[in-house]
Amino acid sequence: MEDPRAESIARVYADAFLNAAATENVADALEEFASFADDVLERNPDFEAVLLSGMVGRDEKVALINKVIGPYGSPLFTNFLRVLARHDRLELLPLILRESQRLQELRMGRRRVQLRAARPLGPAELEQIRTQLAASLPFEPVLEVQEDSKLLGGLVIRVGDTVYDSSLRTRLKQLRSRLRERSLHEIQSGRDRFSHPEGD
Amino acid sequence: MKFRADEIASVIQKEIEDYRGQIETSQVGRVLEVGDGIARVYGLSGAMSGEMVEFPSGVRGQVFNLEENSVGVIILGDYLKIAEGDEVKSTGSLLSVPVGEALIGRVVDPLGNPLDGKGPVLAHESRPIESPAPGIAARQPVKQPLQTGIKAVDAMTPIGRGQRELIIGDRKTGKTAIALDTIINQKGQDVICVYVSCGQRAATVAGVVEALRANGAMDYTIVVSAPSSEAAPLQYIAPYAGAAMAEYFMYQGKHTLVVYDDLSKQAAAYRQLSLLVRRPPGREAYPGDVFYAHSRLLERSAKLSDELGGGSMTSLPIIETLQGDVSAYIPTNVISITDGQIYLEPDLFFAGVRPAINVGISVSRVGGNAQTKAMKKVAGGLRLDLAAFRELEAFAQLGTELDKATQSRLDRGYRMVELLKQPQYQPLHFADQVISIYAGTKGYFDTVPVEKVAVAERELLQFMREQKSEVRNKIIETAALDDATEEQLKAALEEFVVQFNAAKEELAAAK
Repeated sequence: MEDPRAESIARVYADAFLNAAATENVADALEEFASFADDVLERNPDFEAVLLSGMVGRDEKVALINKVIGPYGSPLFTNFLRVLARHDRLELLPLILRESQRLQELRMGRRRVQLRAARPLGPAELEQIRTQLAASLPFEPVLEVQEDSKLLGGLVIRVGDTVYDSSLRTRLKQLRSRLRERSLHEIQSGRDRFSHPEGD
Repeated sequence: MKFRADEIASVIQKEIEDYRGQIETSQVGRVLEVGDGIARVYGLSGAMSGEMVEFPSGVRGQVFNLEENSVGVIILGDYLKIAEGDEVKSTGSLLSVPVGEALIGRVVDPLGNPLDGKGPVLAHESRPIESPAPGIAARQPVKQPLQTGIKAVDAMTPIGRGQRELIIGDRKTGKTAIALDTIINQKGQDVICVYVSCGQRAATVAGVVEALRANGAMDYTIVVSAPSSEAAPLQYIAPYAGAAMAEYFMYQGKHTLVVYDDLSKQAAAYRQLSLLVRRPPGREAYPGDVFYAHSRLLERSAKLSDELGGGSMTSLPIIETLQGDVSAYIPTNVISITDGQIYLEPDLFFAGVRPAINVGISVSRVGGNAQTKAMKKVAGGLRLDLAAFRELEAFAQLGTELDKATQSRLDRGYRMVELLKQPQYQPLHFADQVISIYAGTKGYFDTVPVEKVAVAERELLQFMREQKSEVRNKIIETAALDDATEEQLKAALEEFVVQFNAAKEELAAAK
């Protein structure tokens, strides 16, 4: 569950990172960031623990970054890590990475679209959905597919905060409430036959 | 009658065949935190203030607070079923309640769901619980009386249709009793009543419903119940829901009466919600807009202009004070909004003066125009006389020798106080009120011992109904007391006094 406050802070850092990278190559900078997360943090959980922990002082963290990342990373990324360390924001790293990727996509005219389907979708189907969505949306969709057998059938597409729900489950729900609404009268008149005509 | 299974099946089959599911489009958000009747929701970027939202369990909520990153939602139902991370759907509509004839005689919760076990409420229309009050052009002055059936109220603090009269007093002083008597007295008056119970004990509400039913008042009454066991959001919206139900009839040109029992509990519920969504507390920890919460509710009562059908909505808000403190925040607020107040005092209540109305500080700012001519004539000086009597009574307690004139004024006062007492659930017709107040002020009861005044009054009213019905009918017909009728009334009263005294002597002789 994302924390909106942390997310909004991460967005600020992500924005700054991308702007700083814009003078060089944004794609390279993002790739370096992602590889730092995948190849360094993921493979060395102890290092991640030290870096993200609040128990280690900021000076020690900066020294650690200088020693470990300095010789290998680009100056831009190393500086970025130092800034984060100095501001005590290293624990936001995963969030900042996600936000910078999203932000970069947004700048390229692409946006995430969450797709939920009842069964696994083949590549051909996905491509068809993608082209149809691209035709009707004002941006290039990036699909995030989830499988949810509870939907029974159909698709649920979520763009930002808006959900387009054409799943079988929701349709059945609609049908049920409609049937019930129609038959309320019959139910009540059925009850009236047993109640006293003059009320109570 | 038996249901035919195949018939039903074919109907359902046809429904399903004709059914074309549309893609449901909605705004969603996720629950960040939930508790004590409120939820903070992330997302819902297009949510409007006051919009209705739906939780996955089917529970509805209302957007209450729009913040930078999240939305504060009040949960109108069971909030224990809602978990962090649940998806919240916006509905694009304002919170509304069912309205219409189908609700009359029913006991419902603030969302219009039945609570009386009499099946679904078959209302075809609904109305947003918050709607703007009618403007200046849509109104006309209050000039039609709303008879409460209570002598002390109708004579001294008369209520007109479209008025807002506050009933204020400590706990256990008979505030609800006055409201109930008023509802019971509307029988056959074409007034639809709505009783909103907000933050009361469920047993009390059950008692109220039972009393209304026993007196035949449920035939034209809607009870909206949000007892104190309900979550604060429901207690908060209950008065608005009740107002919406009455408003529907008002805009159809009908007369309505709404009782809000009581608004101090509603203010407390609103305070709870506001503090939970972290709105800054003000005086007595109430939020800054608690005045507006009550003013926008009470401003919705009106007497509509004839072009709009001339319907009316009379409000009787109830406020409970602590130890008679009317200068607390909520009482002063509501006193300043309403067109007068009926002030009930525990001292009077325990002295046996019931209804325990303090006539000195109870006022009605607009009801005077609405009083019938007959009542205006007989009750004109009553307030001042009673105030003078109270003063004199205090003076007489010093034990000084009193001259004859003072003593007789005191005696008259004692009898008037006795006359204004009235048992519960026995509202009086206005003609009866006119007759008994006339008899009291003109001194026809002076020869009756103080403790016999109630008996004498009862016998007088019976005598007038049975033997002098032409005088009584004349008063009802003209709603005025012209000179000729007054002469007839005087003669009738003299006749009654002779008869009553004779009966008394006979009784004494028999002993």
